[in-house]
Amino acid sequence: MPMTPQLSPVEEQEKLLDEALNIVKSQAFQMKRCLDKAKLMDGLKHASTMLGELRTSMLSPKSYYELYMAITDELRHLELYLLDEFQKGRKVTDLYELVQYAGNIVPRLYLLITVGLVYIKTNPCLKRDLLKDLVEMCRGVQHPLRGLFLRNYLLQCTRNVLPDVAEAENESEGTVRDSIDFVLMNFAEMNKLWVRMQHQGHSRERERREREREELRILVGTNLVRLSQLETVNLDKYRKIVLPGILEQVVSCRDAIAQEYLMECIIQVFPDEFHLQTLNTFLKSCAELNVGVNVKNIIISLIDRLATYSQRADDTSSGIPSDVKLFDVFSDQVAAIIQCRQEMPLEDVVSLQVSLVNLAQKCYPMRVDYVDKVLLTTVHIFQKLNLDRVDYTSPVSRELMRLMKIPVDNYNNLLTVLQLQQYAPLMEYFDYHGRKSLAAYLVANALDNETLIPTQEQVDTVLTMISPLVQDQSDQPTAEEDPEDFAEEQGLLGRFIHLLRSDIPDQQYLILSTARKHFGAGGNKRIKYTLPPIVFQAYQLAFKYKALKDEDEMWEKKCQKIFQFCHQTITALIKAELAELPLRLFLQGAVAVGLMDFENHETVAYEFMSQAFSLYEDEISDSKAQLAAITLIVATFEQMACFGEENHEPLRTQCALAASKLLKKPDQCRGVATCAHLFWSGKSLASRGEEIHDGKRVLECLKKGVRISSQCMDPSVQVQLFVELLNHYIYFYEKGNDQVTVVMLSQLIGRIREELPNLEANEETEQINKHFSNTLEHLRSRLESPESEGLSYEGLVL
Amino acid sequence: MLVLVLGDLHIPHRCSSLPTKFKKLLVPGRIQHILCTGNLCTKESYDYLKTLASDVHVVRGDFDENLNYPEQKVVTVGQFRIGLSHGHQVVPWGDPESLALIQRQLDVDILISGHTHKFEAYEHENKFYINPGSATGAFNPLDTNIIPSFVLMDIQSSTVVTYVYQLVGDEVKVERIEFKKN
Repeated sequence: MPMTPQLSPVEEQEKLLDEALNIVKSQAFQMKRCLDKAKLMDGLKHASTMLGELRTSMLSPKSYYELYMAITDELRHLELYLLDEFQKGRKVTDLYELVQYAGNIVPRLYLLITVGLVYIKTNPCLKRDLLKDLVEMCRGVQHPLRGLFLRNYLLQCTRNVLPDVAEAENESEGTVRDSIDFVLMNFAEMNKLWVRMQHQGHSRERERREREREELRILVGTNLVRLSQLETVNLDKYRKIVLPGILEQVVSCRDAIAQEYLMECIIQVFPDEFHLQTLNTFLKSCAELNVGVNVKNIIISLIDRLATYSQRADDTSSGIPSDVKLFDVFSDQVAAIIQCRQEMPLEDVVSLQVSLVNLAQKCYPMRVDYVDKVLLTTVHIFQKLNLDRVDYTSPVSRELMRLMKIPVDNYNNLLTVLQLQQYAPLMEYFDYHGRKSLAAYLVANALDNETLIPTQEQVDTVLTMISPLVQDQSDQPTAEEDPEDFAEEQGLLGRFIHLLRSDIPDQQYLILSTARKHFGAGGNKRIKYTLPPIVFQAYQLAFKYKALKDEDEMWEKKCQKIFQFCHQTITALIKAELAELPLRLFLQGAVAVGLMDFENHETVAYEFMSQAFSLYEDEISDSKAQLAAITLIVATFEQMACFGEENHEPLRTQCALAASKLLKKPDQCRGVATCAHLFWSGKSLASRGEEIHDGKRVLECLKKGVRISSQCMDPSVQVQLFVELLNHYIYFYEKGNDQVTVVMLSQLIGRIREELPNLEANEETEQINKHFSNTLEHLRSRLESPESEGLSYEGLVL
Repeated sequence: MLVLVLGDLHIPHRCSSLPTKFKKLLVPGRIQHILCTGNLCTKESYDYLKTLASDVHVVRGDFDENLNYPEQKVVTVGQFRIGLSHGHQVVPWGDPESLALIQRQLDVDILISGHTHKFEAYEHENKFYINPGSATGAFNPLDTNIIPSFVLMDIQSSTVVTYVYQLVGDEVKVERIEFKKN
């Protein structure tokens, strides 16, 4: 005999299924032929043989399902035939009993159900008893796979005939109570079979069994669906009969796979209105579930559903009814669950708190106290465990971070977050990285939403909360932070300072003082980012007080105090070994004070200017930086009109001196030329706020410039400087300085014309040429247009 | 050819960010060049400008962190030579005749400067002068009424149409000025 080749398991299944389906096909054909000839008993025999295929133990659940579908499909013909016979009045007597003698139990029961259904459809008064009978009889099949499919057949067949009335005229027709009992019984039995599968067979096949169980779960779940489809199951019946019936089975079966699936099923299948009124019962059951069940996911699933439900409800009829203290119930029950399940990992406990906060935010967005309550609970949980700081990379830290970010994202208002008393305490449980990360998140949120912090207390609280960004921390790692990241982070803080603002000047001063205290302790690396914004806010506050001087008799003293405050703050930057920045801040301050008119503001302005000068003389050594700094000092001073001659004179002199002492000749020349403006458009108290117009001193500066240029060795530089000076001469001539004459201009032009041809032909010379020709162009156009009053260029030799 | 002209943001020293309404208008992909008068003051603002256009030119303002920005720059766009300088070096600040000195030296058709935080756009001796003001409306002790503003130049051969965007109260107002090169 030839040996049949070895087949793979998949091929083996295919072969078995094929063989079975062939038998089904042939028996079905025979059955239909007999029924056509009205040979009922023969038809039934073939049906029974066909159903015999469902007795197999060899098929996998998937294959069994295919076989089952094929066979039950064919059984429809039998059902229709019998229905037809019955409706035509050709009742077959005792068919129900007859069928019970047929062959083996599996075919017998399928036939019984089919015939029973026909009876029910044609004799409604038999309904109640028949249904009871059928659901009981299915106990005869205790093999899990076969039993599950059999009971599924029962459920599907009875789909449209289950009584769905609260009270029946004729008791024997059954009420919804009978349907509930029917389905609950079927459910309980199916669940037992399903759970039994877990323990069938060898322990090493456990994974495969569990997979197969997953494939079959919907068979069990369909019972719950059926219950949800009974229209007369109202809240009362659900609460008293349906839910307790389901939960009893779920809890008592003690099987993790079944429990996890079925609890989910309950949530998905029954309406939210029912869930809202049965929360205590449901959640209590959650506490009793098997240790292997992920209770967290079930609760989160329920909360999400109810949160969505409450958000969807627009009209007053739906939505969370006022007698359902949704948050309180969940809060208490979740606490009980955590209490019960000691083995729950800490991150799962925190996850549950996250879901509670989500619930509070979605269903009760106005109740800040609910969120605070959850935070308090979390603090207590941590305290009980004597928890120290959690590591940033740990799952607990991640969940905790999620928890802390929810109120920030939902309120989009840092001030509301500040109302959460437990927020700062809970933040302390993070390690350095966690605290810093959350602090940055808070600041970024405030900036995105442009949230102003308008009181000194709130500013104090916020700055304390974000202290990892503001000051060194005791648990800070010693490794240096990446300088770019650091700059970005401090820049964020600098920007944030502008949100610390009140419209009430006195309050604003308190805010700035508080900010100064916090940021001042940040160390040298930080203050260069954080103190300048405070200084500028202070300058603006001074202007505010000035504008309100009629309403506030203390305004002068307050302004003085502000500039003192600024002086100290800028000095702190100098102590941190900065020079350029404080110099510029003093200059800005000088301009600001110069415009104030409180008593002795001139002295303060002088002080600020002197400070700037000191920095220039003592701290700035790079020649390029020096030129830039002195130009800025001169330009700033030119704008100020507040000085009397006693102060203006030394400052003017200092500027001119400093310019002439610059190291490089070209710089000297340019510096000196810039100083010329001080003597022309500069203003002082002596000139009564008018421009000084000291033509002589202006000319002196310009002449000096020419002298210095002549000393330059590089001819190209020399000519360039001459052209620049020529333009300066023109400027002052056109402004009306009578000391500048056309003759001088002609002379300078002549000199330039002499030197230009001697320059090397290169790009630089090109530029100088262009500059010169543009200048001449300007003069030409002035010569040709006669409208310039008193500024005649007559006699100019170009 | 669209050129964005802006400056004196002073972030974070004097302001926390650009006005929201301005940010909404400044969309990447539509602007070819950016000319910035300086005083950004930090890398963050520079990076932001780079997201709007790849060709970004910045000159050094008195509060800029980056010491490597040049004091002046000349850029050619279409038929125009455009000069760029912050303006704190020009004495007196904002004086048209002093600015003309720079224009002659750089030999440009358009001179862009800032520092005063006040929008200007005028013709002077057949050359065009633009001050885009402060895009954030940053504090300037010399001016108590600063209006946030920036400028968009549309350069087509020898004509430049200048649009100035100003945030007056809560509304963005736009004005249009045309300049033709001789």
